[in-house]
Amino acid sequence: MDNVQKGRRRVGVIVNGSLINGLEMKLDEWYSVEDIRAGRFVVIEGEKSCFFCMVTDVRLDTTNPQVLADPPDEAEELMRQVLHGTTTYGTVCLRPLLMTEKDDVVGDRPGEPHLVKTIPIHFSVVGEAEEEDVNHIFGHEGNPRYFHIGQPLDMDTPVCVDLESFIERSNGIFGKTGTGKTFLTRLMLAGLIHKDRAVNLIFDMHSEYGWQATQESGSGGRQGFVKGLKQLFGSKVAIFTIDPESARRRGVQSDFVVNIPYNQITVEDIASLSDELNLHPTAVESAYLIWNKHGREWLSTLLSQEPEQIKDFADNVGAHPESISALHRKLKRLEKFDFLQKQVHEDAVYKIMEFLGKGMHIVLEFGQQSSFLCYMLVANILTRRIHDLYVRKTEQYLATHQPQDKPKQLIITIEEAHKFLNPVAARQTIFGTIAREMRKYFVSLLIVDQRPSSIDDEILSQVGTRITALLNDEKDIGAVLTGVSNASWLRGVLASLDSKQQALLMGHAVPMPVVIRTRDYNPAFYSALGYVEGEDLTRKAESNITDLFGDR
Amino acid sequence: MQDGEIGEVIGSSNTEFIAESVLLHNSPPFGTFIKVQSRETIYAAVFNSYTHSLEPNRLAIAYHRSEQELRDEQPQIFELLKTKFEAVIIGYEFEGTVRYHLPPQPPRIHSFVYPCRPLEVRRLTSQFHFLRSLMSVEKAPRDELIAAAIRTAYAEHKGERSFLVKVGKELIKIIGDDYELLSSILRRIQD
Repeated sequence: MDNVQKGRRRVGVIVNGSLINGLEMKLDEWYSVEDIRAGRFVVIEGEKSCFFCMVTDVRLDTTNPQVLADPPDEAEELMRQVLHGTTTYGTVCLRPLLMTEKDDVVGDRPGEPHLVKTIPIHFSVVGEAEEEDVNHIFGHEGNPRYFHIGQPLDMDTPVCVDLESFIERSNGIFGKTGTGKTFLTRLMLAGLIHKDRAVNLIFDMHSEYGWQATQESGSGGRQGFVKGLKQLFGSKVAIFTIDPESARRRGVQSDFVVNIPYNQITVEDIASLSDELNLHPTAVESAYLIWNKHGREWLSTLLSQEPEQIKDFADNVGAHPESISALHRKLKRLEKFDFLQKQVHEDAVYKIMEFLGKGMHIVLEFGQQSSFLCYMLVANILTRRIHDLYVRKTEQYLATHQPQDKPKQLIITIEEAHKFLNPVAARQTIFGTIAREMRKYFVSLLIVDQRPSSIDDEILSQVGTRITALLNDEKDIGAVLTGVSNASWLRGVLASLDSKQQALLMGHAVPMPVVIRTRDYNPAFYSALGYVEGEDLTRKAESNITDLFGDR
Repeated sequence: MQDGEIGEVIGSSNTEFIAESVLLHNSPPFGTFIKVQSRETIYAAVFNSYTHSLEPNRLAIAYHRSEQELRDEQPQIFELLKTKFEAVIIGYEFEGTVRYHLPPQPPRIHSFVYPCRPLEVRRLTSQFHFLRSLMSVEKAPRDELIAAAIRTAYAEHKGERSFLVKVGKELIKIIGDDYELLSSILRRIQD
C-alpha cells in the first residue's frame, strides 16, 4: 500500500464532512481551484482505510469576511499571493464512494473495495487518483469480462465496464440530442460483440449501427464516416432491413429483408400505437370485436373491406359502424408500408431466432421507414414473438438443465425508448414486460433515449447500468437518477458534463459512479477490436495461409 | 571597547533593552537586527532610537547654525548629547543553535551591542517567530516596525519574492482577523 501512497500527488486535506452529506477538503494552496473539475476522482488516505471519492462541488471560501468587502486590486500582487491559500482558499466537496482497508492487503495489492460505511479522520491527506487506483476499482481490460469504455477526466487510465454485470440487467444510455448517445451505444455494442458476452438485436431507427455512420465532428473538427458493426465484425453481424431500396441506395448489402404478414399484427400491437395512429379507446375495443370474429386475419379482413361494406361488416362483428369506420380509416395508413404484406415466404422472426441462435448479432435497419409508427410497429411485433420464443426456450432449459439448451443472453437495443416505455405504453408494449421481468428469461433491453423523464418510473428504477451524457432538463436529470440512492450530489455532476464525449457511468456494471471521457471511436479502436485493413490485412491473410498450409 | 560595537546596554528587561549608541546620531536603523554579547548571544530588533541632552529635564537649545558651524564654534555641546536606542528581544543563541524564545536572563548592563552579520540575519529570519515578538511591541507603530524588519530580512534573502509571500502568509496567522493591519504591512513591504 505504501508504494501506492508515494505516487499520489497531494491535493488537500479533509477538514469537515459527514457520511450522509459528503466530505469537505481544504485545497492546498499550490493547487489551483481551476484544476479541480466536478466528477474528478481522488483518493483519501485515512488512518485505517483508503477512500475513493468523486469531486462533486468546488467552492471559494474565506476565513475573514472583511477581505471580501475590500478585495485587493489587480496591482496588489503580493497581497493576492499572500491571501491565496490562507485567508482565501478553495473548498472541494467530495463524495466517498468506495473504501479499502489498508491492512487488508493481498500480495502487494490492497483488498477488494467495498461500500463506504465511515469517513476518514480529520486532516487526512487527499491525493490525485493514480492508474493503479482506477485499475483496482474498475478492473483491467486484460480480463475478458471488462470492456474499456473511456477514461476518467484528466487521466488516461482506462475505465472498464463489467460486461458480465452489464448484461444481467436492462441498461440505459441517456443524453440530450447531439451529446453522443449513438456513439456510446455503438461503443457498448462493439464491446459486447467483441467480448462475445451476449447476442444483440438492434432496432436501428436511423441506420447508424449497421454499416457506417457519419461522424459529427472528429477530433480535428472534420466530418467523416465511422465504421459500423458489420464492417468491424464481418460475419458476426447480420444486417436486416425493412427498406431494401434504401439499403441499396446507401450501398449496404443486407442479409435479409424483413417482411411482416398482416396476420402477425395483434390488437395489442395496434393498441400500443394508439397515440401515433390517433386511435380512440373505443376503436381498440372494436378491434377486439373483429379479432373475436376473424382471429389472426382480423386486420387483413378489415382492410379488405370497401368503405360501403363497413356497415354490414360492423353489424356482422357486432360493433358500432362509426367506430369501425374510424378504425378502418386510420388503419388504412398501414397499407402504405411495403414491408406489411398479405403473405410472406420466410418468417422474419424465425430467421432472427436462427441467426441469434448461431450467436450472430442483428442490426435491423429501417432505412426511409423511420417514422415512429413504423419503428414501433415493427419493434413491437418482432419483439413480442421473440419474447415468446425465449420464454419457451428458457422453460425448456429449466426442464432439461442441459447447458446446450441455455438460451444465449439477448440484448435488444431500442431507440427513442420513451415512446415504448412511457407510463401508458409500458403497460401495453412488450418492452415494458421485458424491462420489468425478462431478465429471468435471458432477455434484457438497452434503452437509448433523450427524454428519460417520459419513461415510466417503475422501469427506470429497474435499469441496471446508466450511461448518461449531458442532460439539462431538471426533469430528465431527476428521472435518470431515479432509483439511485442519495443521488442529489450527482445532479451537479450531470449538469456540468461537456456536451461531447463525456458521460456519467453509474449502476450495476461499475462499482461506483464515474465521469468518463468516452473512448475514441477511431482506427485505434477498430484495431483494438481486431479489425485489420490495408497492408495488415494482406499480411494477416498470408500468415493464415502459412498457418493452414505450411510454407510452400 | 571592542571592534564593531555600536552600543552598550544601559537598561534591560526580559523582553527588551535600552542601549547607548557609541556614536552620536548613529544608532542602528529602525527595524534592523542587533545582538548583545552577554552570557549568551541575545538577538533583538531595534524599534526605537532617540537623542537627548545628558540632563534629563533639559532640552537642547536651538542655535540657528549648521551642524558644521556648531562643531567648529562650540564642540563641547555635542558632548552633552547622547543617542540611545531600544530593542525588542527576539531570541538567543544556545549551544550553537538559535532559540526563538526569550532568554532566561535579560542582557547584562554594560554588555556591548553589535549589528547582526548578514548570515545571522538570514538565520534569524529563516523562521518567522520574530514576527510574533515584534507584534508585542507597544512603543512603536507595529505595522512600521514589522514592515521595516521584513525589509531588512528581505535584503538578506537576496530579494527572493517567495520569501515575502511566505512572510505574508505567516503574518496572517499571527495577525488573525485584522485585515487592515495586514494590508498596511504588505503595502509597506511591496517592492
